[in-house]
Amino acid sequence: MAQTAIQTPGVLPASSCTALDPLGAPVQSKQFLSMAPRLDSLQGKTVYLVDVGFAGGYEFLEEVRGWLGRNIPSARAVLKHKPGNMFMDAPDLWAEIKDQANAVIFGVGG
Amino acid sequence: MQLRFSFPPYPVVGMTRARLREYVEGPDPITGAPLMREILDALTKPLTNDEMKLVARAVPSPRSRLLPSGTEADLHRLYLENGWTDGLPIILPTEERVAEMLSGTSHPPEEVVGQMAVAHRGEFFAYTVEKVAVNAVMAGARPEHFPVILAIASTRHPAFPSSTTSFAGMAVVNGPIRHEIGMNAGLGALSPFNFANSVIGRAWTLMTINLGHARLGDTLLASTGHNLNYNNMCCAENEEKSVWEPFHVQKGFKAEESVVSVFRGWSVINSMGAANSIRPATEETAIMLQAFPALRSAVTLIMDPLVAKGLKDQGFATKQDVCRWLSENTKFTAGQYWGADVIYAFMASLARQGVEPYAPWRKLPKETLIAPYNDPNNMNIVVVGGESNPLWLTTDFSLVQIASIDKWRPAGGLRRDAKPLRMPVAISCSDGTCGLG
Repeated sequence: MAQTAIQTPGVLPASSCTALDPLGAPVQSKQFLSMAPRLDSLQGKTVYLVDVGFAGGYEFLEEVRGWLGRNIPSARAVLKHKPGNMFMDAPDLWAEIKDQANAVIFGVGG
Repeated sequence: MQLRFSFPPYPVVGMTRARLREYVEGPDPITGAPLMREILDALTKPLTNDEMKLVARAVPSPRSRLLPSGTEADLHRLYLENGWTDGLPIILPTEERVAEMLSGTSHPPEEVVGQMAVAHRGEFFAYTVEKVAVNAVMAGARPEHFPVILAIASTRHPAFPSSTTSFAGMAVVNGPIRHEIGMNAGLGALSPFNFANSVIGRAWTLMTINLGHARLGDTLLASTGHNLNYNNMCCAENEEKSVWEPFHVQKGFKAEESVVSVFRGWSVINSMGAANSIRPATEETAIMLQAFPALRSAVTLIMDPLVAKGLKDQGFATKQDVCRWLSENTKFTAGQYWGADVIYAFMASLARQGVEPYAPWRKLPKETLIAPYNDPNNMNIVVVGGESNPLWLTTDFSLVQIASIDKWRPAGGLRRDAKPLRMPVAISCSDGTCGLG
């Protein structure tokens, strides 16, 4: 049996019309930074492990710290809670990391 | 800035230490590569040429104001398949219909109303009065509703910001415009029986999708989603039946001002049983509030006028009196409080910083009772309902913002249809017949 196309309910066929785009216009408001240069290795380096605040992240990073201690004992792992909640800026911590750390790993739990 | 990511199995919350260690020593489930090897590579492998480029995500060229013309069916398909709708049929925003909607305000079409993003700290999207009008048309609104929709748009808040936790929103209108546009504050105000409530609430949803750029799996990650996102509990306060001052007056506005208050939260509990039948509504509410985590004391009660009358008879002269009572008398254990994931996420950092009362609460034995709704100023009451039963809704919603509607009215008064569209009003028993004739 031949099939007949079904019209969309409530829509008149064939008449051509024009409609407006409903989308907002993207705003370029972010400052973009280049990535930091990479290290040759973690041997003898200080690595900050930063828990951003979602539950489970700190405990997971404790295990990462343990792994680093077992596998790269010359690396110094510093585990930190990010101050404030995960949506807040933490300029003091960022400054500390720039001053004290060679690398940083952010842990997002949940 | 680009970032290098690696993933352990998910979730990590609630896992034993042994399981977490397995995750650390195991593979990234996305790539299959050993997780720690991947992390070490991320820190030590030289940057690629692409990673060294100081390149922002390209801003797309401005979109054409008009879409390519087509049949009605083609255009309906275009909007649906592009994710520009809520899945329900829309009114196509033709030039004529948008122009008609724009007659509902004195503000020029090109005026920028705001910027919105569903993703926190994500990319924002700017929108004009005309863009709001496009979405208002799509929602089925008429020009008389446009000032309310513009007021919601002016808050710049999406109805459901991106979170894996599935937010819900609420929009409550106060002031004379409630009657001017036929909103329902009475019987079934939160149910689909009122044109204005329906289309205004839906317009906020479509604005969130189109102006806030809600894209499932990209900017929007709500794990279960939320069915309140379809209409956002849009209603009006029943100021006439309330024994207390209207919500907007409580917040410093004049009674004759028209405003919309937008709320955000997650959860709604229906009281189901009549207030004061066995125990007072306050005690019943305190029990219900134990089901929420008490995040920043956020509570909004949506209360039938009969409940408000009963509470006033019991000595609660104001809404604030009720909120203070609930703040002081709703208690659960410190263990229950700190055991909530969302409390850990948002309040544990305050405890670590020594902020009262969270720091001392953090040190309490788990079984110690605390009064976690410690800020009655973040507790709200809105009177809504038709007095068919003294019932109420208890939510964990917080007030986000209140916006003026009058600012967006057209100079010559609301632009109403010659015969405004109105759904049937509730059958009244005031004549004793209850509509049974």
